[in-house]
Amino acid sequence: MGGDSGNRISVEELSFTYPGAAREALSGINLFFEQGEFCSVLGRNGSGKSTLARCLNAILAPSGGKVTSCGLDTRDQGGSLEIKKRIAMVFEDPDTQIVGTTVEEEVAFGPENLRLSTDVIRERVDSSLELTGIREFIGRQPSRLSEGQKQLVAIAGALAMEPAFLVSDESTSMLDTNARQRILELFLSLKEKGMGIIHVTHFLEEAAMSDRVVVLDNGRVRAEGAPGDVLYDPVKVSEMGLDPLPVTIVAREMSAMGYPPPGPVLTVEELLACIRA
Amino acid sequence: MHPRLTLENVSYSYPLPGRGEVPALSGISLRVEPAEILCIGGANGSGKSTLAQVCAGLLMPSSGSVRYQDKRVERHKDLLELRRKVGLLFQSPEDQLFADTVEKDISFGPRNHGLRGADLEARVRRAAELFDLSLEELGARSPFSLSGGEKRRVALAGVIALDPEVLVLDEPFIGMDFDSRRHMKALLGRLRDTSGTSIVIITHELSSSWSLADRYAMLAGGRFESLQNRSELISNEADLSALGLRLPQWGLLANRLEKMGVVVLDPADPLALARAVCSIREAGDGR
Repeated sequence: MGGDSGNRISVEELSFTYPGAAREALSGINLFFEQGEFCSVLGRNGSGKSTLARCLNAILAPSGGKVTSCGLDTRDQGGSLEIKKRIAMVFEDPDTQIVGTTVEEEVAFGPENLRLSTDVIRERVDSSLELTGIREFIGRQPSRLSEGQKQLVAIAGALAMEPAFLVSDESTSMLDTNARQRILELFLSLKEKGMGIIHVTHFLEEAAMSDRVVVLDNGRVRAEGAPGDVLYDPVKVSEMGLDPLPVTIVAREMSAMGYPPPGPVLTVEELLACIRA
Repeated sequence: MHPRLTLENVSYSYPLPGRGEVPALSGISLRVEPAEILCIGGANGSGKSTLAQVCAGLLMPSSGSVRYQDKRVERHKDLLELRRKVGLLFQSPEDQLFADTVEKDISFGPRNHGLRGADLEARVRRAAELFDLSLEELGARSPFSLSGGEKRRVALAGVIALDPEVLVLDEPFIGMDFDSRRHMKALLGRLRDTSGTSIVIITHELSSSWSLADRYAMLAGGRFESLQNRSELISNEADLSALGLRLPQWGLLANRLEKMGVVVLDPADPLALARAVCSIREAGDGR
């Protein structure tokens, strides 16, 4: 490992077919993900988003093509543990991944499996609880926490592995607004610290906060680019099976009335800025 | 005329071994009218799912009363009757699917209610078709082998096959993509308009039911904050956010425009919102 390839995930001509399935879940995917970047993955149900996420950290091995995660080929069984250390994953339902009887045990579970020294484990637990802002839960039972709090515990557990990338597979979908906001702010701060964030989501408002957006459709990359470029046209967005941002629909009506906004607008504040300008 | 479903001062507490009782609902009063869509919003842990189960007759309130039309639900027999009238879709479809094939799952309710033969078949087919489920393709498959969205549609078809007068949906849009949500919204609107079904949507995100709901109620800490219509929600954005909820972009834009002195009558209509923004711009240009 080393050089550029150690800091990125590169996906080349990736295809994946589930055993017994008639068609490919992913076909001919070419993508890369960098550390220090927040990338959202969008697409209708069944478009291949979760399959792609699982190919990035070697839960699934490609049927064709190649995924190189932090310099390691995901087809190589020997590197699988190292890949899971570097590329952590959180899922939609925190209950499916929480095993510890206290928050402390839960967060320590990953580092303990790496056979790290007690001091190092304690340091990692401390810093993960600090990053996620849940230090006060340290002795609590995860099952007694709210869904949003449990998801933060699951993320803390992932961070204790000190990963280079965090892959979130719809980790915000069951959460209320406040809990979602807290997790997105956490993602942004982790990105600032140099972690790569790959966030699979149905919510375009969340995707609008990211640096780059990838839209999958029918197992292929349908669109890729800055949120302003990919999400601005409500007609194209709905053709991709996504819910257009209301602001983009209003902006389109404004253009038809002869008052086009000066550039792509995705948020209410951006739309109102064009009144104030 | 009586409301379809009335809750008066309903409280519910869960027994917790060794810790006495944990209150989940306190003093809830609610009326569900015929042919209306009521959206009950609340953050995680606000008591939404408990309320759904009280409405559907799965839980008997610890205190207060539940009425269906003019009849008070008092005994076990009344609860059974309430369950025939009120259909409930659970948040996780896995919680209500159990049969080994899709067709058996959808037909379970009406069969239990005594329907047989061609009547049963027609009822099941109609419910499946409403949710775009092909019985030829999926009827013999296990519901547990389907995708999350398909499972939810099978669960809903099973509920609809009972012809409920009130439909209570606990987070029906979670994990659904744009096409499925649009389809579901159109279907719920049609059920209200053509069959006069009352629909209660219980959710933590208001955007999916924004253009659909006739009325809103906000739940926090097991209590109703106040019953509100859309324009009240827009004007009280700060209160909403204190409850852990957020206006969808439509409402947020209407709120900002209101603060600039322009009231938008239909905040789910993009044309009305665009006109409002343009009118402010025009006024600015004219100065």
